[in-house]
Amino acid sequence: MNEPLEIRDLDGTGMSALRRLILTLADSKRMMGIRYSDWLLGAPSIEAGIAVSAMAQDEWGHARLLYAMLKDVGLDPLEVEHERPGEDYASVGALDEPFDHWAGLVAAMTVVDEAISVALLGFSRGSYEAARTRVPKMLAEEEFHASLAKAWYRRLADSSHKGRTLLHDSTERLLPPVLAWLGADDASARAMVVSGVTESGESMTEVLRERLRDLTALVEVNIDRAQPNSGWDEDRARGPGRPDEEAIERVRGDRNRALLVE
Amino acid sequence: MLERVYDVFARKHRGDQLAHIGYVDALDDEMARVYAWKTYDEEHWFEMCVIRRTAIIPVNRQDGPFTGLTGEGE
Repeated sequence: MNEPLEIRDLDGTGMSALRRLILTLADSKRMMGIRYSDWLLGAPSIEAGIAVSAMAQDEWGHARLLYAMLKDVGLDPLEVEHERPGEDYASVGALDEPFDHWAGLVAAMTVVDEAISVALLGFSRGSYEAARTRVPKMLAEEEFHASLAKAWYRRLADSSHKGRTLLHDSTERLLPPVLAWLGADDASARAMVVSGVTESGESMTEVLRERLRDLTALVEVNIDRAQPNSGWDEDRARGPGRPDEEAIERVRGDRNRALLVE
Repeated sequence: MLERVYDVFARKHRGDQLAHIGYVDALDDEMARVYAWKTYDEEHWFEMCVIRRTAIIPVNRQDGPFTGLTGEGE
């Protein structure tokens, strides 16, 4: 196990890289929660709706814990959570838009939620104490998300031609932004690997491919051929695009925060 | 796609009696596990398990919910 990271020993580059890493994870968790919450009504069964509702709560809880880590690197979590514009979100691009059908959500549950868990696993094995102590419980909760994702993925892959096609197309669409996000190998990502805070994008990508290879093959998607999309923006820590404005308003709680008495 | 009924049993503490706490409809065992865990999450359960209702063998009554014919895609 790595020696614990001393935040005060980080130089400006290291501090900014850790800040960015926490944000990419927290923002992705928050957006994953939003995408689950889109399906509280409209899931194929009451049980499925209850499950995604609970999973949305899990994601938001995880995001809250991750945002709280920003205090260690000199950022105010309250400001970050409630005052940023959508273009500042470092969430994985695969979650920018809502999913039009259940197969899209199942593909996201399988590919995107799993990728976030792989990134968190790398973070939990690193030298940052807060990640080592807080992330394992998140990963334990995520085991249920992965179970449900796999069960639904297999079920849809074995269903109608339409179901398989929707799942195939959704998987193919989600993989490039996910691979770009998880496999990021820019200066900031490398700084975190060198400091022992997390694992390399290459090794985490391989873990994801290994976990999903057999599953995506069910809908004839060869995960080894999937490539990250282009246009990675090192400053924004994400690929092209931004989360849709309606989702960001919900994330920040714009409408109802106006009712709060300060 | 046919759903089955799964009965949910749980205990709060090690050594407690396993109690029937409800049921879920699910397409397969894996979904039933997750649905049960996420639906009946009002307690911090020490242990929870699910069983297909069709696997329950009634002992003395043939008119209750556990008669073996219920729960298979109904």
